[in-house]
Amino acid sequence: MEKTFVPRITSFLCTWCSYTGADLAGTGRMQYPTAIIPIKVMCSSRVDPVFILKAYLKGSDGVFLGGCHPGDCHYEVGNYHTRRRFAIVKKIFESLGLEAERLRLSWISASEGPKFARVANEFTEKIIEMGENEAKKKIFL
Amino acid sequence: MNDFAALGAKIKAADGPGEAIKAFLRQAVEKKVADAVLVPVKVPAGNSYAWILVTDMSILDDASPVAPVMPVQGAKALKSLTRKGHGELTVMAVMRPCEIRATFELLKLNQVNLEKVVLVSYDCPGAIPFRDYVKDPGFGEKNFQAVMAAGGPAEKNVKPACVICDEFSRVDSDIHFGWFGESGSSVLVIPSSDRGVEVLGSMGMECSDDIAGWKKTISGLKEKKTGKRTATLTETAKTIQGLDGLLGTFSECIGCHNCMAVCPICYCRQCYFDSEVAKKTPDFILETAKKRGGLAFPSDRVMFHTGRMTHMSLSCVSCGMCTDACPVDIHVAEVFSYMADITQPAFEYTAGRNDGVPLPLRKYEEKEVPQVHEIVKEAEGEEAAHE
Repeated sequence: MEKTFVPRITSFLCTWCSYTGADLAGTGRMQYPTAIIPIKVMCSSRVDPVFILKAYLKGSDGVFLGGCHPGDCHYEVGNYHTRRRFAIVKKIFESLGLEAERLRLSWISASEGPKFARVANEFTEKIIEMGENEAKKKIFL
Repeated sequence: MNDFAALGAKIKAADGPGEAIKAFLRQAVEKKVADAVLVPVKVPAGNSYAWILVTDMSILDDASPVAPVMPVQGAKALKSLTRKGHGELTVMAVMRPCEIRATFELLKLNQVNLEKVVLVSYDCPGAIPFRDYVKDPGFGEKNFQAVMAAGGPAEKNVKPACVICDEFSRVDSDIHFGWFGESGSSVLVIPSSDRGVEVLGSMGMECSDDIAGWKKTISGLKEKKTGKRTATLTETAKTIQGLDGLLGTFSECIGCHNCMAVCPICYCRQCYFDSEVAKKTPDFILETAKKRGGLAFPSDRVMFHTGRMTHMSLSCVSCGMCTDACPVDIHVAEVFSYMADITQPAFEYTAGRNDGVPLPLRKYEEKEVPQVHEIVKEAEGEEAAHE
């Protein structure tokens, strides 16, 4: 039997919005892929660009970053900073010819369980389409 | 760059710009405009230069304001001097344009205090690679004399970063010494800030000489260098594409982190990459090795360099200290300059200006600048649908 590819998607979720949203998806019994590996952070802006790089270089097939909608940050402006941090990583990935499509940012509020499930499904499908992260096999990294 | 004055003061410089700057410094101290000066002075062994805070002006005889090498980035020297604030003394610091630009980045990071500092810059021809110089200081001096004699930004025999430097002239310093394109016997002293005007005023220097000719020379030279920079960095870009490109570029990296240690921008007391959290447990390492079939040591070299790109490329002033310090000759400076030329414009930021604009990652816009917006619009688009 052919082994099916189950990607690993490192997901940084802010505790106030996206993580709660993911929770809601669970309590609402909405299906989303097991590829999503959630890491709870107090704020999406806690995610230093290096975290994203590290996840990618250590072999995550995708890196997902979830935060509150702009203007709704629990700390008022955290996610505005997240936006800029995400942008610089993405910019660096693009200019180094790395697969920037493996990175995704999404705003998911605590009440958006269905949205979390939808985004998780969409992103996982896209990653399955893209295949495995080649960093996984690089012994010199 | 503030276009402060269309006028400067032409002064005699029969023995070259270095001597002219020294005479100026002496005069500044005599007139009590400055209490001390910070300049490179040749070390007694004769094979290097060190930053000396000179209070006894007789030491100035041995000083070389325009030194052939950059063993320590001037911004770093100024940081160690003013990290804890300013004292009573006014210090006049003579530095290369890239050192002054790094200083302004450190100012934005609250690492230097310029309250009592007068920054003096000069038209910089470039610096000799430090290791070449140490190997044969005599030859290095001769090389640098040739570089100086050419009277413009050098195209060979200098650091690779200097070859592609297009910020070799006036920056946001207080006073600038312009000499490119001037006849060998004179230099222009140009005030470049309010403080500069004030200092020259109290020194009784009259700025009545037109600097339009010098400006024209500089912009011509600058254009040429910008072309060179773009061409070189385009080539660099090709060598670092994809994981294989990165692995190729950094394959010689011995993980000494020298590039970080000498970088004026990397001011963190402890770098993430040297910290305890960056160290892995044996189980984790074994697990990774098992998955990949093997693992190189020291590992995470690409992560270190790409991580530094995210942390300091926005403030990179292309001073080339990193390449100078690399024991295995990786062209770190070109890689970082390439990245700086991409990340800084993305945030509509230019490193090294004294313009009061905060560092890009320390501010935000509710409606983001175009390039950032372009990147996050996927997420924002979802929001529009959600509304």
